[in-house]
Amino acid sequence: MDSMSLKDFAAKWTMGLILITAYVFLYMPIVHILFASLSNHPNFPYPPNFNPKSYVNLATNSIYQSAFVNSLIIASCTAVLSTVMGFLATIGVLRFAGKRALFYAVFFAGPLFVSEILLGISSMSLYYLVFGLQGNMVTAIIANSVHCFSFCFLIMAAMLYKYDWRMNEAAIVCGATPFRAFLEVMLPLTWSGIMGSLIVAFVLALNGLDISFYLLGATPTMPSVAWGALRYGVKPELYALSTIINAAVFLAIIVLFLKARNTKTAPV
Amino acid sequence: MSEPNAAARKRVFLYIPTTFLVLFFVLPLVALVVLSFWQTANYKIVRDWTTLNYVTLATESAYIIFFLRSLLMAILVSVFLVVVAWPIAFFIVRFGGRYKLIFSLLLAVPFLSGEVLRLIALQGMLGPTGLINGALMRLGAAPLRFIMYSNSATFIAFVYLYLPMTVTTIYLSLLNFDLRLASAASACGAGRLRVFSEVIWPLNLSGTMIGFLLSFIPTLSASLAPRFLGGPNGTLYGMSMAQQFGESGTWALGAAMGVVLVLFSIAALVILSLGVNLRRTGFTGMER
Repeated sequence: MDSMSLKDFAAKWTMGLILITAYVFLYMPIVHILFASLSNHPNFPYPPNFNPKSYVNLATNSIYQSAFVNSLIIASCTAVLSTVMGFLATIGVLRFAGKRALFYAVFFAGPLFVSEILLGISSMSLYYLVFGLQGNMVTAIIANSVHCFSFCFLIMAAMLYKYDWRMNEAAIVCGATPFRAFLEVMLPLTWSGIMGSLIVAFVLALNGLDISFYLLGATPTMPSVAWGALRYGVKPELYALSTIINAAVFLAIIVLFLKARNTKTAPV
Repeated sequence: MSEPNAAARKRVFLYIPTTFLVLFFVLPLVALVVLSFWQTANYKIVRDWTTLNYVTLATESAYIIFFLRSLLMAILVSVFLVVVAWPIAFFIVRFGGRYKLIFSLLLAVPFLSGEVLRLIALQGMLGPTGLINGALMRLGAAPLRFIMYSNSATFIAFVYLYLPMTVTTIYLSLLNFDLRLASAASACGAGRLRVFSEVIWPLNLSGTMIGFLLSFIPTLSASLAPRFLGGPNGTLYGMSMAQQFGESGTWALGAAMGVVLVLFSIAALVILSLGVNLRRTGFTGMER
């Protein structure tokens, strides 16, 4: 009996050790470049010191500014478009697909199984090489939305899976129009899923290089400027940019966490 | 609710996203196939049907080597990720308690910060003057050459890029798995190994396969990581494909490479889903 529990203990802490190693592995580079962005010696910033020069350089660099605006537009439009599509798909699959639910679910998850670079290249083949259209923001937004759509669909499907549709019906029976039932009953109850989908799509489109790269031509986005700069050696500005993005993502995740926790504790 | 009303609603909810995907996901892939049977000469598309691109890919040794290297890399990375992701996901589900959500969301931060920025961060770790080699040299040791601009560096990069995705997939699978089944098996006298191999593993096999595929497919066609970290002998298929669309301007050949990658992704999907017996994985269809 004693040896059994010892084995359990060993198994538990072996797994725990792998988990800790993995999280250290995932976060060490992020923390390293945080120090590097603030250091006078970006190559080996230990002991850490505080020097905001690279952030000032970043803020005053006009290429990054226009790239930031472009990325922001692409990410916002992508987040809205893919979330709306994903929401329709989720309701369609969970409520109206009947026996074909599995078929539609697999089809809607399809873009997940085609890598980003192939999505970018194939969309470019269609627009530019077949139709002769120049790359522009609209095509970049659409291609990004295809990629994000699957994530949105899966996030909202996971959240809406246990949604009680009778609540909508109850509202309709009480005289609400279907639209009003959606707006006043369903939307507040499923808001955390929709929010998660918006955030994930926004961040994916903000940081994805492959898709926008092939569909935008010369229009700069943040990842493409970062990639361009990378080819001429890493500069402290890039560390600063990376740190800001990481901080923003971290903040978004905290918002998501608080949202999810509140939803859980709220009486349903 | 009247019948035509319900049918109309069904049409809207399913047909809008379906049309969206057909137009902007399926049609581009068709265009890729069409393009792969055309030719490029002097940076212009020549619309003559030919299989020359595929002949080139099948006969030129450079492309064959790139492809085999990519395939081997993708298999090694995905197998390694599944092996590592299982204990992590299992630990979170089994012992995470009320911190489960935090553990899983902490995986999302590195995942969402984007491939380019993560490669920059990784370069800060692995490069000649990065954290690891910098620390080694300060301690008076020789720098590790194998983590700079080599296939091992690319391997580490892929593990870094796709670990969050694989762990999350297996985590979600385990989260929906009833751990009481494992307790029941061990109460009936099954040993630890037997509980795992006959209950836990088969019932989470489809989730594991999806996790495998979600690292296998992007690794197979990756272009950024090898280009940045792979060094002189690290050219992978996706990187070569990106070059056809960039510097060389041989789009048709690049499109053929894209088709090869899509076909192999589909093949991996089919082979793995044949290996999964849905009944044994506890899948009972979409219950509503």
